[in-house]
Amino acid sequence: MSSPTQALFANRWLPVLLVTPLALLIVIFFYVPIFQAFYWSFFLERPFGGGSIFVGWANFARVLSDPQFWEAGKRTVIFMVIGSSLAVLVPLILAVAADRQLRLSQPARNVLVWPKGVAGASIGVIFAFIFNPFAGILSPLNQWFPGIWAPGIDGTDAFIMLIAAHVWSGIPFNFVILLAGLQSLPRTMHQAAAMDGAGAWRRIFDVQLPLIMPQVFLTLVLEFTESVTSAFALVDTMTKGGPGGSTNLLVYKIYVDGFNGYDLSGAATQTAILMVFVVLLTGAQFAFLGRRINYER
Amino acid sequence: MKIFTLAATTAALMAGAGAAQATDFEFWYGNTGSVETAILAQCDAFNAAQSQDKVTCVGQGSYEVSMQKAIAAYRSGNAPVLIQFFDAGTLDLMLSDAVVPVQDILPDVDWANYIDGARAYYETSDGRLYSQPYNASTLLFYTNKTQLEEAGITETPKSWEEIKAAAEKLKAAGHACPFVTDGDTWRVLEQFSARHGLPIASNHNGYDGLNAEYVLNTTFVVQHLTNLVEWRNEGLVRLGVDTRAGKYADAFNAGECAMMEGSSGSYAASAKAFEGKYEVTVDMAPMYEDYERHNTLVGGASIYVMKGHSDAEVAAAKAFLDFLRQPEQQMAFTAATGYVPVTKDVLGAIEASGEADAAKYATAAIGIESMNQPRTEDSRGVRLGFYVQFREVFMEETQKAWNGEQTMQVALDNAKTRGDELLRRFEQTYQGVKLP
Repeated sequence: MSSPTQALFANRWLPVLLVTPLALLIVIFFYVPIFQAFYWSFFLERPFGGGSIFVGWANFARVLSDPQFWEAGKRTVIFMVIGSSLAVLVPLILAVAADRQLRLSQPARNVLVWPKGVAGASIGVIFAFIFNPFAGILSPLNQWFPGIWAPGIDGTDAFIMLIAAHVWSGIPFNFVILLAGLQSLPRTMHQAAAMDGAGAWRRIFDVQLPLIMPQVFLTLVLEFTESVTSAFALVDTMTKGGPGGSTNLLVYKIYVDGFNGYDLSGAATQTAILMVFVVLLTGAQFAFLGRRINYER
Repeated sequence: MKIFTLAATTAALMAGAGAAQATDFEFWYGNTGSVETAILAQCDAFNAAQSQDKVTCVGQGSYEVSMQKAIAAYRSGNAPVLIQFFDAGTLDLMLSDAVVPVQDILPDVDWANYIDGARAYYETSDGRLYSQPYNASTLLFYTNKTQLEEAGITETPKSWEEIKAAAEKLKAAGHACPFVTDGDTWRVLEQFSARHGLPIASNHNGYDGLNAEYVLNTTFVVQHLTNLVEWRNEGLVRLGVDTRAGKYADAFNAGECAMMEGSSGSYAASAKAFEGKYEVTVDMAPMYEDYERHNTLVGGASIYVMKGHSDAEVAAAKAFLDFLRQPEQQMAFTAATGYVPVTKDVLGAIEASGEADAAKYATAAIGIESMNQPRTEDSRGVRLGFYVQFREVFMEETQKAWNGEQTMQVALDNAKTRGDELLRRFEQTYQGVKLP
């Protein structure tokens, strides 16, 4: 009756033991806080504890009727759609280019991975400087048209700056995945297509892209879920949610409400809602996108 | 195994013995830069002055972070004995049940020694101080005298009307940034309302009960902020983000802007940056000519004693608080930072030192004078729940007015609506709790 997996371990408790440390970490740092957040979302919690009041669904009613919450939610979705699409599209273009036997494609493969080593907060600091209206790369624009680039005042400019930093930080990982996908395609397919008279562009759209759809899908799923939460470091270092709340994404709003405003209940409620949203989003992606992708080669 | 047990027991015993000799306790603060240096100097001085107690001063990087950590630490029973916290969190701490009023644990101290302006902000309705004022500051008006004179302005402007006229002259003389501000809540709302005698919220800014409502959208503040936006469009006023330096005080210190409203706590930085280049003036914050001057509020931060500590730790913390109140300590702190001493004996000591006119005490006399102006029921302070969050709301809404998305009236109407929601939720969170 022994299955092939069990045959790997002499003792049946050994695999359990090996998994326990990691499982413990996940439970302590993931499931316990999540449970706590869901629990608090039904209470009015005092910051220093002592005297929390059960309020049922009142926190949810308050959050869901708060226009600020919906505004932040809308911004989060816009950021997610634009930011993630670009964060996959740009590396895809780079990967296709690096996959072709162009001059410098070898060093490019190397260099494009480097940003992976830079922490989100550092990226924020660097990009805040790059996009500084007086000293940054867009400052000449301000000399010709004064005030045209002002991320400290203009909400749209600040949002563009945020997306640019996010896309840049997403390049290395997605680039590696997509390039690996491209490299795994057998060269014979290119050759066959070329023989049939397909040009370089044709081969990209009809041969390469359809065949690396699993990788594109993977990067999209990861990007969509990542962009909801990982934008925090960028917002915190670049804009603090401003100006006028224009870059106040849901994750940042939760942080500010909870930690600066001591609204633990409101922050917990928003966390619960955000979590449900991300789970539904990923589920939807698998249901609608994932089914159309052919993993067989 | 035996050796290990023995070693552990010895270590535990020695730790116990150590505690009997010297009581270690922690003090958390939030300041950085030159203020942090001054705080650490005081901690070292305390430890050097006696061997009975040892304070460990832990910098948390900002008031907010310090508070976040204190909340988490208190919930898990690891809170420091002493924590410094800023003005806006006063009510949150008063109702937290996590702190003991300083006046209760130090009943013999002459608390009347504190100037009324400092007491009013931190005392209960029956006049007990909840926290010991520490780095007290107030709002002052700074000018770059050298640049003003270059533009032909010989008299330092005193009122907003004169500031506008001076700004126009500066602009005519080719100055790109006559007046700089960051539109911060403390500067443009709280200090402005207090000295013009305007309420921010009903119930005398919340002093008379938790059922207060914001009224800031009905006072002269609306007109003032509308003026500032208009003056910015005319090129007379700039926001910190409009400047090359990026921050308003940096822009003033670098000589990029000629006038600013700023905390007395930033005086040391300005004086240092100006050395050999410009001359700085500090004065009371400007008034509109039609209004009578009232006091400005005490800003900065005060020190709270947190619950849940042994008698020995509390005794050590008391000794540290006593140490910080000493006139020479306060004077050194003022000289190093520009924060204002808020006890009457220190003012006397500065007078007696013969250095009252020295640059290092430049903010002391003027700051005290500003806080000692006639008080109204609405200029005692701000006692509103979740007020830290309201400051964020105010900034968010007014920023939309600065960039032209909405008028200042709409911005303040929105701030009122959102602020009232915060107050109602605070009231609900602290159901049945009476304002001390």
